[in-house]
Amino acid sequence: MGVRLIANVRRATNLAPMTPQDISKLIVRVSMSDRSAFDLLYRQTSAKLYGVCLRILNDRAEADEALQEVFVKIWTKADRFAVSDLSPISWLVAVARNHSIDRIRARRPAADDIDEAMEVADPTPGPEALAVASGERAAIDSCLDELEAERADAVRGAYLNGDSYAELAERFSVPLNTMRTWLRRSLLKLRECLER
Amino acid sequence: MTQANDRDMEQNGGENMLAAEYVLGVLPDAERRQVAARIDSDPAFAREVDEWEVRLSGMADAYEPVDPPADLKQALDGRLFAADASQAQRVGFWSSLAFWRTATAAALVAMVVALAIPYLTVDQGSITAERLVASLSHDDTDVHYFVVYDAAKSDVGLSHVTGARAEGRDFELWVIEGSNPPASLGVIPVGSNVHLAVTGDLKRRIEAGAAFAISLEPLGGSPTGEPTGPVVAVGDLTTI
Repeated sequence: MGVRLIANVRRATNLAPMTPQDISKLIVRVSMSDRSAFDLLYRQTSAKLYGVCLRILNDRAEADEALQEVFVKIWTKADRFAVSDLSPISWLVAVARNHSIDRIRARRPAADDIDEAMEVADPTPGPEALAVASGERAAIDSCLDELEAERADAVRGAYLNGDSYAELAERFSVPLNTMRTWLRRSLLKLRECLER
Repeated sequence: MTQANDRDMEQNGGENMLAAEYVLGVLPDAERRQVAARIDSDPAFAREVDEWEVRLSGMADAYEPVDPPADLKQALDGRLFAADASQAQRVGFWSSLAFWRTATAAALVAMVVALAIPYLTVDQGSITAERLVASLSHDDTDVHYFVVYDAAKSDVGLSHVTGARAEGRDFELWVIEGSNPPASLGVIPVGSNVHLAVTGDLKRRIEAGAAFAISLEPLGGSPTGEPTGPVVAVGDLTTI
């Protein structure tokens, strides 16, 4: 995944190319309160992380606020990267995703803005993206393909848009417990498939 | 779905499924907060969450980058660095060390491995090039220090992670360059964050790419000028 993410970051910000190792080093230096590393990390990764916040929160003002909070977390919790098995980009995305989902869960009492959220559709990867898609993405995609189409959509919707069980249940017109069973079984199948 | 799988899901897999649901993001607010608190207090559970983050991370490729507003970084800096920048940097660095002191040895090893990755080629001008770090430890002891050498300040800072000195003994810090005999940097003062000043020849040795070692010595340090007691911790210096 890293390769395409980096390619995305580079395209969006027109910066010198960085490898995942470069990003790792920046995070390590940030954990030692190195401001110049923090500035460079922001320049290299803020567009990707803003994309995460915007897609989940679907609101510019809220995404602006969330992105700042995400980088405050990165500044104060960069030590934790050392004990994670995630690639550096994936770790940063996880911070942004989890923070945005925290915000949307706290904000959204009911599923009244599902339609709005769904307007941000999955971007269709172009030929270039397909060409550079690396192992991790290919693996999860082929494992999602083994699920029933509706269930794969539910997993993707939850992961990418931050949909809750309640929202997914309403969209797919099934009881909430049924949706929970669907997703748990789908996750188990994904785990089995990814470990093959 | 077989019955065996259902049992796995409800029993052995229950915890793991909770970790997966957290990562997927589908839990309601209250449950999500409970799980987040658990991640902070239960390392085994935190590992399961991390494993799920890794499994599902391929999907994150679909997030398209969007440039944030240009003035956002300035607002962020105002939020983080409103106080004196140099002061904040120093305090932040040592409070970070304070965190490591309570972290596991594994975390420190991972940290140092990360530090050992060769240096990046971009933006070299802004990098603090004259700092070297080392994690000093030994398989046979629980003594662990984190060391930072600052060339500009001629200073060696030591952060005590674990391992007490024996009653009536001192820890002494040595610099070992190539096949030369160890040279003493002095007795390490007692304390969690302490400093030793370094001069001329010792600076040259450190900057030549030396290793550090800590030996257990009589109070006041080695009487002979060479290590007399057992080496309790060693480590190579790495550029950061």
